[in-house]
Amino acid sequence: MDFPILLTILLAPIAAALILVFVPKEENLTIRSVAAAGTFVSLALSLYAYFTYDQSVGGLQFAMQIPWIQDLGVTFFLAADGISLPMLLLTNLIGFSAVFASWNINSRPREFFILLLLLIAGVMGTFIAHDLFIFLLFYEVVVIPIYIMVVIWGSSKRVTKEYAGMKLTIYLLIGSAFLLVGVIALFVKTSAMSGVPDMSFTGMAVVARQLSGFDQIWLFGLMLLGFGSLISMWPFHSWSPDGYAGAPTAVSMIHAGVLKKIGGYGLVKIAVFMLPAGAAFWAPYMAVLGVAGVAYAAMGALAQKDLKYVVGYSSVSHMGYVILAVACLNVIGLNGAVANMFAHGVMAALFFSMIGFIYEKTHTRWIPDMGGLARQTPRLAVGFMMAAMASLGLPGLISFIPEFTIFIGAFDVYGGLAVVGIAGIIITALYVLRAGANTLFGPPRPEYNHLKDIRGPEMVPLIVLGTVLVVGGLLPSLLFDMINSGVVPLHAAISDALQLGGKF
Amino acid sequence: MLTISLTHYVVLSALLFSIGLFGVLTKRNAVAVLICIELMLNAVNINLVAFSKYITPLDFTGQIFSIFVITVAAAEVGVGLAIIIAIYRNRLTVDLDNFDWLKW
Amino acid sequence: MTPFDFSIPINPSALTLEMLVAALGLGILILGIISPKGARSGLGWVSFLGLMGIIGVAITMWGQSGELLAGMYLLDNYALFWKITFMVAAALVILGNMRYVDKVGNQAEYYSLTIFATLGMMVMASAGDLMTLYLGLELMTIAFVILVCLRKTDNKSVEAGMKYILLAGMSSAVLLYGLSLLYGLTGSVIMLDISRIIAMQPVSPALVLALVMIIAGLGFKISAVPFHMWSPDVYEGAPTPVTSFLSMGSKAASFAIILRLFITALPGVWENWAMVIAILAGITIIIGNLVAMPQTNIKRLLAYSSIAQAGYIMVGMVTASEAGIKGVMFYAFLYVFATAGAFTVAAYFYNVTGSDELKDYAGLSQRSPLMAAVMLVALLSMAGIPPLAGFVGKFYLFKTIVDGYLWLVFIGLIMSMVSVYYYLRVALVMYRDEPKDPSPINVSGPVTVTLILTMLVTLIIGIYPGPLSEVVNSAAHSFFLH
Repeated sequence: MDFPILLTILLAPIAAALILVFVPKEENLTIRSVAAAGTFVSLALSLYAYFTYDQSVGGLQFAMQIPWIQDLGVTFFLAADGISLPMLLLTNLIGFSAVFASWNINSRPREFFILLLLLIAGVMGTFIAHDLFIFLLFYEVVVIPIYIMVVIWGSSKRVTKEYAGMKLTIYLLIGSAFLLVGVIALFVKTSAMSGVPDMSFTGMAVVARQLSGFDQIWLFGLMLLGFGSLISMWPFHSWSPDGYAGAPTAVSMIHAGVLKKIGGYGLVKIAVFMLPAGAAFWAPYMAVLGVAGVAYAAMGALAQKDLKYVVGYSSVSHMGYVILAVACLNVIGLNGAVANMFAHGVMAALFFSMIGFIYEKTHTRWIPDMGGLARQTPRLAVGFMMAAMASLGLPGLISFIPEFTIFIGAFDVYGGLAVVGIAGIIITALYVLRAGANTLFGPPRPEYNHLKDIRGPEMVPLIVLGTVLVVGGLLPSLLFDMINSGVVPLHAAISDALQLGGKF
Repeated sequence: MLTISLTHYVVLSALLFSIGLFGVLTKRNAVAVLICIELMLNAVNINLVAFSKYITPLDFTGQIFSIFVITVAAAEVGVGLAIIIAIYRNRLTVDLDNFDWLKW
Repeated sequence: MTPFDFSIPINPSALTLEMLVAALGLGILILGIISPKGARSGLGWVSFLGLMGIIGVAITMWGQSGELLAGMYLLDNYALFWKITFMVAAALVILGNMRYVDKVGNQAEYYSLTIFATLGMMVMASAGDLMTLYLGLELMTIAFVILVCLRKTDNKSVEAGMKYILLAGMSSAVLLYGLSLLYGLTGSVIMLDISRIIAMQPVSPALVLALVMIIAGLGFKISAVPFHMWSPDVYEGAPTPVTSFLSMGSKAASFAIILRLFITALPGVWENWAMVIAILAGITIIIGNLVAMPQTNIKRLLAYSSIAQAGYIMVGMVTASEAGIKGVMFYAFLYVFATAGAFTVAAYFYNVTGSDELKDYAGLSQRSPLMAAVMLVALLSMAGIPPLAGFVGKFYLFKTIVDGYLWLVFIGLIMSMVSVYYYLRVALVMYRDEPKDPSPINVSGPVTVTLILTMLVTLIIGIYPGPLSEVVNSAAHSFFLH
């Protein structure tokens, strides 16, 4: 058997967390180093996996399969393809940065880093699991650590952190209850049809695609509810701004950066892949909801004066594009969806880490109180503006090409709706630039003169995520070739069903 | 002439059971409730013996069942009375309305 | 063939387990009398090791099958699995609560009654006729009544005992009345015969009445809504180890016997009870979870949560299928560990602080990270959050009713996510709040073992349920072989 690279990536943070249990809680530096080391191993290995993945062959690579539960047809199946690898890499980029963004956590650091590492491992698990049951095991692992982290280390500015944490948790759990019903029903129906229970994505999909149109429609509807509430699809988005505002920096980074993407990933790799006829039925509705989310959340962001709320709403708005792109159900659209998830992940994580530092130093997130931080903390300002520019889709940064791709894909299918979506970009530019101007480039305030700029470990998020922002923008093929190698076979598998089922 | 049939026994037992159940639900004295439970159990015994006589006259299943019921009921009453005595010692009352340490 | 045909020789080795457990219980009682007061705390170890030994014997008997006395006593993997579950539950309760019991005193009575209650449960698991069912049930109930009022100077404890015996007596009477009608209708007390005879008869009103009474009587035992009123009071008033055993053992045993009764004896009238059970399960899940939300006493909270858990387990009965039985057994087994974990924490916490109030759990994660972690894992397993055991259990339960009872799947899963709300309130208090008294809690050796064991089992079953699932499969399969 080859070196189980995916398993190692998955277990490295868990191992680090286990080590932390036995580190005395006063050893602040040791605790941070162990956490950083754990995430670094995962990051390095996932970079290695990303660049050694053979795109010419495509399909599932680095696979490992262990029979797990016989009577449910579950195998412990880890594998990566062109869609999951970017997501895996994204998780580790952000996870690694998140450890450094939390470098200054001083209250109960050991518990914090244990939970953070578990959270990272849980998110990674969803991206590399290739079995629906194993996917579900990881899917909800993340909710509880997040809750605990929000209520202990969160901040109560506009809403109390207890409220934010509970809202986020209950929203996501109720969403996942619908998803669970869908999955259980899907399992029962497919195993009754084929006689052999099989929960691996590929095996289940082959059977599931033969389900009747009606079954596919309601099952897809349930999954859409579940994944949709995770990706903050309008109108199930309201947990997201509140949740991010209450959460500590690292949680906001991971949540906005990757956790939401599980929703999009699940939509593409599970819902659309298994139930194409259902997807064809729901696609127009998804497109409308996606565009509604873009417009609504952009307007919402415009009205905010709290930095975290601005970014929170902006992330809802960007996820609207992803949903619109998935709804295209064509290769270009799906490519754009996955690429945009990656791009937004990097950008949102950078945004939140910078806001975290600003808050740490100024103790406020209130935009009018900031003045001109660019003079006082130039490096922070650079990071902030990079994220801001990426957010409004500046060419040369990572999110330009994905958004462009989405519009091409969506214009084909949804014409007018796509135009409305594009209009959202203008509003995005408006609020992002306004937030940047009032935070960084206003008149400097004397009380912030003593602020120290980010330095040392604090620079890591800026360097790691900033590099990816630029490299991804300059060499988009690095990202797109990979994604394309995953999307094309996926689309080929469902296109038959799409043509047979057609649009209802 | 009126012959006593299975129906009579069953009706008697049903009446007895209903009286017992009514008592359990309305009586406020713990000893009275215990007595009412006994009534219910005896209704069961009447049922069992009657069924045994009329339905399975060849074996004694019902009778044996009812002997088990009587035995177990005796044990139950033993424990029940012991508890009532214990609670009387602590509280000097056996009125259920007064037992409000726990929300009923 | 009548049940009392004594010409058939009884093979005593078939009853090895029951005899060993009875001997252990009596032995403890005698040891308690002859040993000096100071040495009585050793009785806990004797009972624990005794039970472990018997569990070992039970495992070697895996695969046995047969019946005694023309089907009055059934031996199969189904019964054996339940017996092992009960003994594991008893062993966990004993191991985790020795100090608590030493504080209360009456060790000999406590341990021997725990073991006799276990014996009652084991008889129930094997019961093949109505009499054996009743005897096992009452043996368990009476032992529990005494256990509940073990702290006889504590008003709450005695009061709980009285409520328990009055309501248990009433529910037994109702159940018995239903059973007597069943006997009258079929002329037999043996479940296999009843099932044959009922299949040939049209459904009569008397049968419906019998069904209603049986459901009501047994509903009390599993504290299904609307027959649940006793359980929060009794759970709160009883000594915590007893509460713990009551909520896992007594409930599991009642489910063991309910499955036997309904699926072995009454499958012929499945149409008549399936919907009733489904509706009761739905109501139980909803009410149990909703009423648990405002609770401020940890034992009451766990009591309501265990009501909701009973609702989930009932889901497995609805289809009367092998898969459903499997779901029930799987869930009951993991529920034993989750409950043991949560209650052991509660009992130990009470030992140290003398409080069961939720607000006193503030900062537990800093005073004892292990206790807080176990409590959290146990509660989340009950809520069915992956990767803990409860998730797999719910998966097995709910997959049986997707066809035909989809509404119940929705109710069950949505309510289980809602239940996270109150479970997380406990987490909130334990993890966020600063302790009023920051002194660390030192957990004693046996308790540490119990806690770690329950947590590990809950995690392992959740992540790798394969082996347990196969064992349960074989147990559920044997159910239909008689």
